[in-house]
Amino acid sequence: MTTAFPTDPAALDAVQRRHAEQQFAEELAELARDDDKPRPPNWELSPWAVCTYLLGGTLANGFIISPKYIGNQRVIQGAVATLATDRALLLYGVPGTAKSWVSEHLAAAISGKSTLIIQGTAGTDESAIRYGWNYARLLAEGPSPAALVVSPMMFAMQQGKLCRIEELTRISAEVQDTLITILSEKTLPVPELNMEVQARKGFNVIATANSRDRGVNELSSALMRRFNTVVLPVPETFEQEVHIVEQRATALGRALELPAETPALEEIRRVVAVFRELREGLTSDGKTKLKSPSGTLSPAEAISVINSGMAMAAYYGDGALRADDLAAGLTGAIVKDPVQDLIVWKEYLQTVVKERQGWKDLYRACHEVL
Amino acid sequence: MPDDSLTVFGIRHHGPGCARSLRAALEALAPDIVLVEGPPDAQSVLPLIMHEEMRPPVALLVYAPEHPRLAAYYPFTAFSPEWQALHYAFQQNIPARFMDLPQAVQLAGMLKPAPEEAAQEEPVDREPTGSVAVPAVPETAFIHVPGQVTPDPAAGDASSAAPQEDPIGFLAKIAGYDDRELWWEQQVEQRRDATDLFRAILEVMTALRNDAPPPEKEEAQREASMRQAIRVARKEGFQRIAVVCGAWHAPVLAELGPAKADSTLLSGLSRAAVTATWIPWTNSRLASRSGYGAGIESPGWYEHLWTQPEGAAARWITHAARLLRERDLDASSASVIEAVRLADALAALRNVPAPGLAELNEAILAVLCHGEKAPMALIRDRLEIGERLGEVPDETPSVPLQQDLAAWQRRLRLKPSAEAKVLDLDLRGETDRDRSRLLHRLQVLNVPWGVPRPHTGTASTFHELWQLQWQPEFAVGLIDAGLWGNTVEAAVTATIRHAAANATELPALTGLLDSAILAGLPGAVEHVLGAVQSKAALAADVRHLMDALPPLARVARYGDVRGTPVEHVIPVIDGLFERVVAGLASACASLDDDAAGGMVQSIANVQTSISLLQRADQLAEWQDALRDIIGRDMIHGLVRGWACRLLLEAGVLEDTELENLTRIALSPVNPAPQAASWVEGVLRGSGLLLLHQDGLWLALDRWLQELDGETFTAVLPLVRRSFSGFQPPERRQMGEKVVRLGGTSTRSRKQVIADDIEPRRAAAVLPVLARILGIALEDQEL
Repeated sequence: MTTAFPTDPAALDAVQRRHAEQQFAEELAELARDDDKPRPPNWELSPWAVCTYLLGGTLANGFIISPKYIGNQRVIQGAVATLATDRALLLYGVPGTAKSWVSEHLAAAISGKSTLIIQGTAGTDESAIRYGWNYARLLAEGPSPAALVVSPMMFAMQQGKLCRIEELTRISAEVQDTLITILSEKTLPVPELNMEVQARKGFNVIATANSRDRGVNELSSALMRRFNTVVLPVPETFEQEVHIVEQRATALGRALELPAETPALEEIRRVVAVFRELREGLTSDGKTKLKSPSGTLSPAEAISVINSGMAMAAYYGDGALRADDLAAGLTGAIVKDPVQDLIVWKEYLQTVVKERQGWKDLYRACHEVL
Repeated sequence: MPDDSLTVFGIRHHGPGCARSLRAALEALAPDIVLVEGPPDAQSVLPLIMHEEMRPPVALLVYAPEHPRLAAYYPFTAFSPEWQALHYAFQQNIPARFMDLPQAVQLAGMLKPAPEEAAQEEPVDREPTGSVAVPAVPETAFIHVPGQVTPDPAAGDASSAAPQEDPIGFLAKIAGYDDRELWWEQQVEQRRDATDLFRAILEVMTALRNDAPPPEKEEAQREASMRQAIRVARKEGFQRIAVVCGAWHAPVLAELGPAKADSTLLSGLSRAAVTATWIPWTNSRLASRSGYGAGIESPGWYEHLWTQPEGAAARWITHAARLLRERDLDASSASVIEAVRLADALAALRNVPAPGLAELNEAILAVLCHGEKAPMALIRDRLEIGERLGEVPDETPSVPLQQDLAAWQRRLRLKPSAEAKVLDLDLRGETDRDRSRLLHRLQVLNVPWGVPRPHTGTASTFHELWQLQWQPEFAVGLIDAGLWGNTVEAAVTATIRHAAANATELPALTGLLDSAILAGLPGAVEHVLGAVQSKAALAADVRHLMDALPPLARVARYGDVRGTPVEHVIPVIDGLFERVVAGLASACASLDDDAAGGMVQSIANVQTSISLLQRADQLAEWQDALRDIIGRDMIHGLVRGWACRLLLEAGVLEDTELENLTRIALSPVNPAPQAASWVEGVLRGSGLLLLHQDGLWLALDRWLQELDGETFTAVLPLVRRSFSGFQPPERRQMGEKVVRLGGTSTRSRKQVIADDIEPRRAAAVLPVLARILGIALEDQEL
């Protein structure tokens, strides 16, 4: 944990993607100034202010906080209340429902640091969660604190910060269970050095898990018991989803320095409509049954389709987002299985897109790509 | 407040907070009379609420004895503000009165618009109630909601409602809430400090009513009636009058105004004779999801708040955890603690004083259910609604029929319950037989307390499965049925006799007979049997006779289990059967496709009856009649085919005969559609016949081969339909049979070819072939 974060503006601008606490530093500072409610120990903001940070709002001095999560505010309140009661939080949902996004912003708002991440994979071992050794030093000097490689988890415990675990259910069950002591005793023993790291107040864990991974490495009931589960749903309404996609696509476009103008709302609506219809297996008028492709078609994927479309428009088109720019990305997002999904997509194009008023350009563009 | 002698408490719904506040306010005020919005007709049964056997939820039922289906319910729970107000008055020994417009007037208003209909409701002319399947939902009975602010029981949609339609929703919207229930719960129900609550309600409602249009006629009459009641109380010299009414009415009761206008409004109203009583009610009826428009979402939760105001959250979550454990779902005490903490934190985050149902549910979902929605449905049903049936004391006025039923229920140890449960009766035992009789009788009376469930597995004929669930409206059904007789037996007998006298069709009559026998009513059985016999003599439609047989046959076969005299039934069956046999051939003539389908069904009915009865003479007669059919060309192919099939199954048709019949039926002179229907008739439902009768198979095969292209296309759907009903194994066996039988034909074809071969010409090719194949040609082979 020795990497210095770039702090001067020039260095920050060169970064491809800024952390939440960097990008929204001003909002966080304003919130902290305005916040007069009690803060749990080691929290940068009060739980109320954390909710405002995520859901957006206007402060007493007129400063506007942009919404980070668009959707049911009860979900966010549940998550914040969980962390406020010192319970570990498990964010659960289908891929692309802003689990990592929410987790990052919660960590940024509560601890002012969203970078203590452990990425869960099948290969994640205990040392990633507990601690590792600098073997050169270990051999030269024998066990000593200096030879210890501190994991993000240990660091978070020492500092009283939030530690994020991405894709908890991808980690094998044995390794998952090392979390039990950490979560219930709030301590991390280091038997080699005959010492332990006791968590400071403010330490907690936010894990995300993918409901598509159900059954891969199911959490043991002992571990499950130590998490409060908050399910992040897919957007309830069409309008909400369009709003999310538009907002994120614009923001990403800015971050990626895409020179295209703001994405046309009409094109976003079409992409969202296609995704929703295919995901639900039903046309929006509820009259025609559709086959669903194997992919999840989450809002996150819609955002990336719009983004690649904007890039196409900017570099190869006239700068305005059109059906031609979207076709390749759209097809790529939907056709994940080259045989099954292609049939689904072709059927959808023939039966829905072709017939729909004003969608002829999209039909032609997609047909060319196939 | 205009004067101190009159205090108006505007209330709403059944709300524990509201009830508690009202109780406290009444104790502080110490009134000398309490007037409650409710039907004055029920004044006489009011004292019963203090009876120790009275257990809410209960409802006041006000009905017109002449037309019991015209009735109004007033549901009460322990946490209804009105209930508490009445309780308080009786405890303090001060008068308590209902002050609404009498139901006598309101029900008379409902009677008036359709005088012809009212005349039809006379017992003599009523629709027959003998058909047992009709559920007893009273069509005209409606539910009155005490303390409800909306004039119309159907609750308005909060988003679109004008203030007079949904004042609470309107206020909630102003306050920035989407959910009117949530707003009310936070503002009123969860309030600990109730000082000035009612003054505030009065004030806000006054403001709303000032902007609202004047009330409709009925509402105006009701409000006038309430004002009049207050004037009467004042005239009688009461000094501190407490008025408990729906919040919407509060402003117009606080200011009495001149009496003249009200008395004109109320003059000349016609009245119906009405009776009031208490009936048990259920929590699920209170919940709005049962279609009771202005009900409360979560009666169980409100009841919990009422009985356990302190530490409600912890107790609630503990209840939930125990419920989950009952269903073998993990819910440790540690999790309960965490869930309570989360609910508290959520309440703090949302700036509410204590966790409400929403917070508790979210906490239970996150901690105990690990984000799974399915167990929440269990909590919704068992805790939030908390299914329960109220109880009323024995002294409650009731019609004799109700008392008789109660006596039976006690004798047979069948206690009415709001929860659905399954009852397995063994008809060999006397008690169970009586229970079965009682349930069947109630079905005839349109009180489907028990619903028969189909047997599963190996249940024998002396077992009966019932699903029992008591519904509050059954009380009305019983009062209605009370017109027919004072005991269950008398009422059922009268109902069946009446229905039998009015029945025009034979099958309806035999259906009645079935229910009369199941209900164990020898008197009614004989009566209906007589009716059947006289109807059968006149019945022109043979199919009606045929369809009437199965219930009778069932009676003759199983009657002994229930102890019904069989000897009366046999002659009737014999009479019907003779007519069927005589008329069968002509009834089968010239039928179109649909009628032929119906006739096949009827023939199957007779067949079932015959095989149930197991009488050799009848069987022979029936088979002769069927044999008669199969030879007649005029009869529809489907019916002929079916008759063939039945005879084959009975083993009276020789294989050779079948082959002949098949060949005749499928001969090319017959129109192809007829032939195809014949096939359908023979093969109906099972392909085994085709598998085992090679003659039939070959004839069918030949017929299909000989069809020309156009006819084949025409009959293909018919043939396909015949085969579609077969089981997959049957179809597989058929495929195997095609291979087997087909094998013979290829072999014979080989024989044919071999005959035509000219060895010399064939031999000429062989050397070239041998060179191509690279083998040496051996001379001796030729």
